[in-house]
Amino acid sequence: MYRTMKKLLIYITCCSMLAFFGACKKYLDVNKDPNTSATPPLNGLLASTTYNTGYNVYRTGDFTSYFVQYLASPNTASSTDTYDEVDYSLTWTSIYNTMADLYDLVNTADSLGAYEHAGAARIMMALNLSMTNAIWGAVPFKEALSGGVIQPRFDPDQDVYQSCLALVDAGITSLNRTDGKILLDETRDLLHHGDAGAWKKTAYALKARLLNRITKKADYDPAAVLTALGQAYTSNADDLQLTQFQSRSPWNQAAVNNVNLTLDGWLSTHFVAALNDSTFGVFDPRLPMIATLTKFGDYRGTINGKGRIGTGTDDEESYLAVETGFYSKGGAPLLIMTYAECKFIQAEAAFRAGDKTTAYTAYLDGIRAHMDKLGVSPANRDAYVNSTVVSIGAANITLALIMKEKYVAMFLNPESWTDLRRMDYQYTDFNMPVNAVLPAFIRRVAYPSAEAARNSANVPPVGALSDRLWWDE
Amino acid sequence: MPGVTVQLKGSTTGTTTGPDGNFSITVPNTNVTLVFSFVGYLKQEVPVNGRTSLQISLQPDTRNLEQVVVTALGIKKEKRALGYAVQDVGGAELAVSKQTNVVNALQGKVAGVQISSTGGAPGQGARIIIRGLNSLDPTKSSQPLFIVDGIPIDNDTYVDPRPGIDDSRGMSNRAADINPDDIENISILRGGAATALYGLRAANGAVVITTKSGKAGRLTVGVSSTFGFENVNKTPDVQNRFSQGYLGVYDPDSFWPSWGPTVEEARRLDPTHPAQLFDNFKRAYRTGKQFRNTINMSGGTEKALFSASVSSLNQDGVIPFSDYNNYSARLNGELRFSPKFKVGASVNYINSGGNRVNADRYGEQLIYWSPRWDVKDFLKPDGTQKTYGTENDNPMYTLYSNRFVDDVNRIIANINATWSPLPWLDLSYRFGTDYYSDARSHTAPGPKGVVGELPLGDNGLGFVHEYQINKRLLNGTFVLNARNKISSKLSSDFKLGHDMYQYKLKSIATEGDTLDIPELLVLHNAKRVISNQREERYRIIGVFADWTLNWDNYLYLTLTGREDFTSTLHKDRNAFFYPSVSMGYVFTDHLKIPDGILTYGKVRASWARIGKDASAYRLTYGYTPLIDGPIDNTVIGWTRTDTKPDPDLKPEFTNTFEAGAELRFLQNRIGLDFTWYNSKSTDLLMSVPLPTSAGFDYFYTNAGSIRNRGVEISVNATPVKTRYFTWDVRANYSANRNKVLSLRDGVNEVVVGSQFGYASSTATQKYIVGLPVGAIFGRSYARYYGTDTEDPNFIDKSRPVLIRNTGDLRGFPLINTSQKYLGNTQPKWIGAITNSFSYKGIGLSFMFDVRQGVQKYNQFANFMAAFGTSKMTENRDQTKTFDGVFADGKANDIPVYLGQGNGPDGRAYGDGYYRRVYRGVTETFIEDASWVRLRNVSLSYQLPSKLLARTKFITGANITLTGNNLWLHTDYTGFDPESSSTNAASNADAFSGFTYPAVRSFLATINLTF
Repeated sequence: MYRTMKKLLIYITCCSMLAFFGACKKYLDVNKDPNTSATPPLNGLLASTTYNTGYNVYRTGDFTSYFVQYLASPNTASSTDTYDEVDYSLTWTSIYNTMADLYDLVNTADSLGAYEHAGAARIMMALNLSMTNAIWGAVPFKEALSGGVIQPRFDPDQDVYQSCLALVDAGITSLNRTDGKILLDETRDLLHHGDAGAWKKTAYALKARLLNRITKKADYDPAAVLTALGQAYTSNADDLQLTQFQSRSPWNQAAVNNVNLTLDGWLSTHFVAALNDSTFGVFDPRLPMIATLTKFGDYRGTINGKGRIGTGTDDEESYLAVETGFYSKGGAPLLIMTYAECKFIQAEAAFRAGDKTTAYTAYLDGIRAHMDKLGVSPANRDAYVNSTVVSIGAANITLALIMKEKYVAMFLNPESWTDLRRMDYQYTDFNMPVNAVLPAFIRRVAYPSAEAARNSANVPPVGALSDRLWWDE
Repeated sequence: MPGVTVQLKGSTTGTTTGPDGNFSITVPNTNVTLVFSFVGYLKQEVPVNGRTSLQISLQPDTRNLEQVVVTALGIKKEKRALGYAVQDVGGAELAVSKQTNVVNALQGKVAGVQISSTGGAPGQGARIIIRGLNSLDPTKSSQPLFIVDGIPIDNDTYVDPRPGIDDSRGMSNRAADINPDDIENISILRGGAATALYGLRAANGAVVITTKSGKAGRLTVGVSSTFGFENVNKTPDVQNRFSQGYLGVYDPDSFWPSWGPTVEEARRLDPTHPAQLFDNFKRAYRTGKQFRNTINMSGGTEKALFSASVSSLNQDGVIPFSDYNNYSARLNGELRFSPKFKVGASVNYINSGGNRVNADRYGEQLIYWSPRWDVKDFLKPDGTQKTYGTENDNPMYTLYSNRFVDDVNRIIANINATWSPLPWLDLSYRFGTDYYSDARSHTAPGPKGVVGELPLGDNGLGFVHEYQINKRLLNGTFVLNARNKISSKLSSDFKLGHDMYQYKLKSIATEGDTLDIPELLVLHNAKRVISNQREERYRIIGVFADWTLNWDNYLYLTLTGREDFTSTLHKDRNAFFYPSVSMGYVFTDHLKIPDGILTYGKVRASWARIGKDASAYRLTYGYTPLIDGPIDNTVIGWTRTDTKPDPDLKPEFTNTFEAGAELRFLQNRIGLDFTWYNSKSTDLLMSVPLPTSAGFDYFYTNAGSIRNRGVEISVNATPVKTRYFTWDVRANYSANRNKVLSLRDGVNEVVVGSQFGYASSTATQKYIVGLPVGAIFGRSYARYYGTDTEDPNFIDKSRPVLIRNTGDLRGFPLINTSQKYLGNTQPKWIGAITNSFSYKGIGLSFMFDVRQGVQKYNQFANFMAAFGTSKMTENRDQTKTFDGVFADGKANDIPVYLGQGNGPDGRAYGDGYYRRVYRGVTETFIEDASWVRLRNVSLSYQLPSKLLARTKFITGANITLTGNNLWLHTDYTGFDPESSSTNAASNADAFSGFTYPAVRSFLATINLTF
């Protein structure tokens, strides 16, 4: 026994010494992370980026909707309502995280010959980047996303805009390739479900949107906008929208929260007035498909910056409707770019080009398309369209009227804020919020703390939030 | 007692006691004096005085005389030979407080060690910080290495890396599994030189535990039973004047618990209103109880020794439905085959766990619950919750229905062998494992669908979340030890060894929700199931040497060196060297100072370099599914992980210098131990926050440095010592100062943690260069600086507060919205003093424990102000003119009403001062969390052996009454500020709001020995 044990001890000692000197390298070779995929999963990235591209529209619209007075906070002098400096770090982070995934998706797709993926990814990159460009102006892009530069420089406002256009063109080029080895995956493409043709239409729709953003600039070219639109959406069926979610559709979540007394999704007085006949003298049949009735049996908004009147729990104002709201019911689609928007872009570009007939037709088509989208009955739709306030004839069409209708059709979409700034907020009865901290309408937002604190050397100075971005000057 | 040396005084004649403790010695005459000595016991001289038979009982040496202490890798060394500070705590001392968590049992016993129970839940984790924090990574534990019988054990407080799962459940630190009754001795290694042999695992110090082992002799059996009860030791003051409603309007269905009218007015409106409000902050807590039984056995022969114990602990906490059980069995044996060869083994099986209530959520829901209603009345006959209105869930129903239970099965085992082929040479090998599986279930039933039911919000549609955590540690250590005498005065002790260590962790989470049958809590009853898995492996290999030179037993020099190879760093750069040098000089022996006032004097100094490596898998990045599960339950979206790796990672290094002295006076009646240390940690690993535009949120790299310096003083004295009566005093004092010396370029601050406060009053603990690691930031009252410039970080509290003189809030203080330094969660100093008296068989001891100069964020007070719960809000019907000045420097002269709605002056005050101003000022909720407490009182009575002799089989009997936390003095307004909102492994310890309240406990123990 004793000898056996002694032998065992010597044996163990020798073995462990051997283990140390001989197999040391192998013994220590356990640092490969078994919990993550080391290689980028092509369709996994397609799924996350199509999902988050849609979701980022919500994340951005969740505050621009207060600037454009679709929504108003139930709280008095709420920061977003009153143009106070609010930290939108979460939105910034989400968009950049999505773009980082898109960066990997573009590279992976190109290397695998998955050109449809690469095309869709470039278009989504352009869409995300154009959202940052519209709210912050100058943002990091050329040095960003790869991780190679840990504090990327900011590209000037105009360069970012040009990058967006270049990405759209590059995306179209990728989609036009016929030598792809892997085609888009129907289930993992959550936006166009594997339809490369639909992505191409989206590319042109986005191109039109971007080209139409620079109406204040000398090189604004309405003809180019109209050309792009020629290959964009032709019906509501082409719309870029997200319909699948991890849990609830986000605006539905807001409505559910409101019912559960985490107050959210309160309609602004301005928006309600624009639709309930008080501003324009005609009741818009879309209002009941968006908002709740008050306990008074009518629709009432909340004045931005003023806050609620009562306790906030007793239906004294209209909220996003949790059961019936097109935008806020269970499973409600999250609209990113629509045929209706294209029609209004066409109307505006044609109007600016002096073609009132095309502008007028597109204007009416835009209203009808949006009403059809919401499921307004043909009778109600036609009654509204045919009202004297709306059908005023091609000769009488004005930019203000086109933009007023576009405003309704773009409900909750952040691109609407771009429109309001291009129009210098000249919408009927559009007032400064109560308790505003700025003397004028808001034109941009501050860089978020997440970027300002971590990339302070590069973040450009921001004056007042009423200062204009490049395309707005 | 076997093995005691018995010597004839003044001669070389002697013997040792046999296995039964008997001895016989031949003496020249009966007037000689015999000297009895045994390691760890006081030497005793007994004059024979003509007797032929003597009964001697040796007293344990509690004064560290010629003490042998356990040092790194379980190496026993004479304390006098050490060049660094070591303090150890014996089993008896540990048992005084009857704490169930061994870490809590160490409270106040050792200088330089800060121990905080994170709350009073049964089995709740305790945090131990030795000589301050020396890492920057907020996610990496700063807990010391725990060693049991030479084998590292896991002391993680495991919480899921995804927040919100079990981080508010007060999970156990794994060392809490150990039964304190099984412990013979704990040695705390604090400084670098003390732990350098452990290499990169012990940079936070080490707690070296030796369990009880068998002694040759008769079989002894001990039985110990402890019964105790406990209650909340401190509750916050609440208002009792105002009832439910808002803006002063009574509404028994209102969400708002206390912004209604006075109780009298409410009673006029509502005859069913109780005459007095319910004090729910007292009613919500019950009397907890605990019952622990341990049976231990030990004995053996010269060749075979064993010790065994079984124990059970059943404890119910003060929050209803919280409980904890711990069952353990331990066997420890040693076989001595020959004087040259012995083999030992031990195995300890533990089963522990219980229902872990979410104390944070409970506290929060209690705030929302109106005192107009009794929180204890929570259940309807149909099993649904009893509440009021439609907006409030009953907190107690949440506890009742929403359960989180853990069940740990654990084995700690080791085998060791020592072969001594030559008198001066030992070879030993020790191999051990710590393996556990931790099964956690979080369950809640779905709505029952009965008429009038208000489904509980936290329970959703019902869920079953199952978590399975398996962790295995393996460790093998080989040591070769050679001792030789180089000359008559110089001797050498040389050790050479190697060490391998690894762990493997696997955790699987299976989370099902939307239950089909509302109350059936099994996974296959869930309509939606999401799973998540994580595996982690970590390995290191070390080679080390330790060489101690001893010159004439008064001058000692020790050199150690260790080279570590780690799996977590790049293969070409994964080897690192940790040296140490230490010296001890017993000058009283060298200079032969006569034994007058100074009996013993030693000075010591040491320098060491220790370090920490990276966590696993930090060299690469990958792709991981989106959080919140698949899209539409079918599509998995993948995203880039958010940390950019640094391929050039290096380990952290800490350079420590310490110097000290140990002095004993008046024949050891007074002892003093003093230590000064300075340690600088560089290349600290952390996740540097990146701008997300870079494509990653963090960059894991070597990014900063910290300095800790401090003093530690221990004093022990025996003011009175007579034959029957002894009075001993022991005191510890320590003060540590730390400072963030540098952060990576471009990094201004690192957020360690933050906790919500209403109206942007969130408190944040941050690292900022030049400030201590415990710095807390938040909003403050704006102050008037006139033409002077305001410091960007600090508030000048001597300045008057700025008062608004225009607008809606005129007359109220203005809030400074920039983040200012408001306090430090690291105490200025900590200390404890223990007095022990013994008279014949009666012993009394009590310990005062002190922590001073520490601040915490009281989130509870923030909520109490927001909801009109705190006592101070009783002044809401008063009018007041705030002290302060307007922006032009003129004194404020605007009286304002403190309540809601319209004031007596006709002005509209909206939802009032407390909601519009007070709750938004973080400064008001950073409270002084200093305390002095009577940590422990223990009264014991040892039954006289004469009495016991009659029973024939009971050899010892002892009754002890213990009280813990009997008295607390603090200015903190919430529950006991020792409790923490974060778990024991977290470095974010600035938050002490909604915690599991600390308890005052009373225990009675009976010990019987057979």
